[in-house]
Amino acid sequence: MNLGEEYDLVIIGRGAAAFSAAIKASELTSGQASIAMIGYGPLGGTCVNVGCVPSKYIIEAANVHQAQINTRYPGLTGVRTEVDFPALMESLREAVLEERRTKYSEVLRSYANIKVFDGKATFTDRNTVSVIGENGRKTISGYNFIIATGSSAKVNKIQGLQEAGFLTSETVWDINTLPKTLAIIGGGFIGLELGQSFSRLGSSVKIIKEHSTVTAGIEPELGEALMASLSGEGIEFMTGRKVLRVLIRNGKKVVVTSASSGNEEIEADEILVASGRTPNVASLGLDHAGVKFSERGIAVNGSMMTSNPDIFAAGDVVDQKYKLETLAAREGAMVASNMFNHTDKSIPMDQIPWAVFTEPQFASVGYTETEYTLRFGKAESRTIPLESVPKARILRKNHGMFKIVTDAETQKVVGIHVVSPYAAEFIIEGVYAIKYGLTYNDIIESSHIFPTVAEGIKLAAQSFTRDISKMSCCME
Amino acid sequence: MKVFGMTCDDCVFTVSNGLKSAGATDVFVSLENGTASAVVDDSVLSPQDLLKIPVFGEKSHYKAQVRKVE
Ligand SMILES: Cc1cc2nc3c(=O)[nH]c(=O)nc-3n(C[C@H](O)[C@H](O)[C@H](O)COP(=O)(O)OP(=O)(O)OC[C@H]3O[C@@H](n4cnc5c(N)ncnc54)[C@H](O)[C@@H]3O)c2cc1C
Repeated sequence: MNLGEEYDLVIIGRGAAAFSAAIKASELTSGQASIAMIGYGPLGGTCVNVGCVPSKYIIEAANVHQAQINTRYPGLTGVRTEVDFPALMESLREAVLEERRTKYSEVLRSYANIKVFDGKATFTDRNTVSVIGENGRKTISGYNFIIATGSSAKVNKIQGLQEAGFLTSETVWDINTLPKTLAIIGGGFIGLELGQSFSRLGSSVKIIKEHSTVTAGIEPELGEALMASLSGEGIEFMTGRKVLRVLIRNGKKVVVTSASSGNEEIEADEILVASGRTPNVASLGLDHAGVKFSERGIAVNGSMMTSNPDIFAAGDVVDQKYKLETLAAREGAMVASNMFNHTDKSIPMDQIPWAVFTEPQFASVGYTETEYTLRFGKAESRTIPLESVPKARILRKNHGMFKIVTDAETQKVVGIHVVSPYAAEFIIEGVYAIKYGLTYNDIIESSHIFPTVAEGIKLAAQSFTRDISKMSCCME
Repeated sequence: MKVFGMTCDDCVFTVSNGLKSAGATDVFVSLENGTASAVVDDSVLSPQDLLKIPVFGEKSHYKAQVRKVE
């Protein structure tokens, strides 16, 4: 081993997974493990700086603005207020700074055993990384490593894009002018969330998608419901379109797309590229460390151990289905625990909930009907429209759906998928149902609060056994 | 081995006893360095097995990692 500076644990990255791992390792070792945490860019990584925090901030602000315009209730007149976009963005950046200060910078002060290094780390052998930062090169060795280098916005090679200029989820937070017209290339959850926010704040938004579904891997009817709702408020979906090139004409950006119907040009003040995420594996020198990886990320076993038993990985950099803050943080803690407790705990991916924070929200946990059928043979499902939920009628919101997927034989819940107001707040019911092997009857026999949108889950469960349109309100 | 979590002589005593009752001999635990050395019969108990003994288990306050095997 090359003894430069030597640590019990070296963590590459300083985002959610890295912090969670460092803190858990410190707790488990009573603060006695020496930990090096290496990274570049602002402390806290994606979530706090350019991910969850700013995106949810702008979403909530845009929702307030929308509620002022469209009050939904007769007798309450909507008002179209001026959006001071520079002020809004300034407050967003301040909120990010504050969150970073309280939840990352200050937290570190409680852990004298964690030393933070600035720079890019590259493995030079199985136990050593070379860190190149502003202050030069440093060699750091460790007995254990956790790779938590996250992911970056994926920007496909498109002719003329670089020259024309574009935004991604990493740069959009710096703008101070609301684009009058915004073309979004790709429409995964980031594209949808930002698309709706900008649309609600006043941009005319076009989402250009290669596929016809709203986001890959979700229940098609729920995807359609979400798309219909977003289209209904003026967002234009241009599906089945391939982006051929980008050019500048008369000071405007022009996205040239092709579809079966022919080529079409989309003119916009600004382009936002939201075509997914790329795991940050490229410059890590993983071959020197004996760590297997692909363009989908680092390969790990169930306990997040890489092909080198002294090196674990956690978070977005891992080759796995979901890229989520909560998952990254949980994996970071679990990896530290597996490392110091010598356990091999794992996280069942069918119990990981995820959400799209549009309005209505999309939230999901477990298998879709197709996934379960392909994997296990036979699934049953029931889908109910949001209108059948009394609270939705009270809210005067009718775009949405609830779908429950069960194992055909055992009647155990294997998936819950929702498009509705507050869906992200109550999808946890689905997590517990799957985690504890509950059947749809168990859901029926659990009292829900009336009137709540979450009652939709119970109604969807009841629809396995009866025609819910013939039930009186709150009927058990 | 590196031992984490020891803060006093009682800890040294607990860790030593834990190692001995697992079958290790010639046990020496250093509070100052946070280390322990011990001899094990590899055919009965490997150095890696030592990490899973109750005194270093999930519910225990002490954690250990093998640093050198001779
Ligand atoms: C716009 C947006 C909105 C999102 N909203 C949500 C949401 O609402 N809910 C949710 O759960 N998730 C959300 N996510 C996903 C979430 O942000 C990520 O899953 C999470 O931040 C991943 O954390 P991580 O620790 O794996 O990686 P990151 O936070 O990306 O941290 C990676 C770290 O590694 C460092 N690094 C990279 N390469 C090297 C190297 N070679 N050497 C040293 N350091 C390196 C980086 O500097 C960084 O500090 C969102 C993401 C985006 C982009």
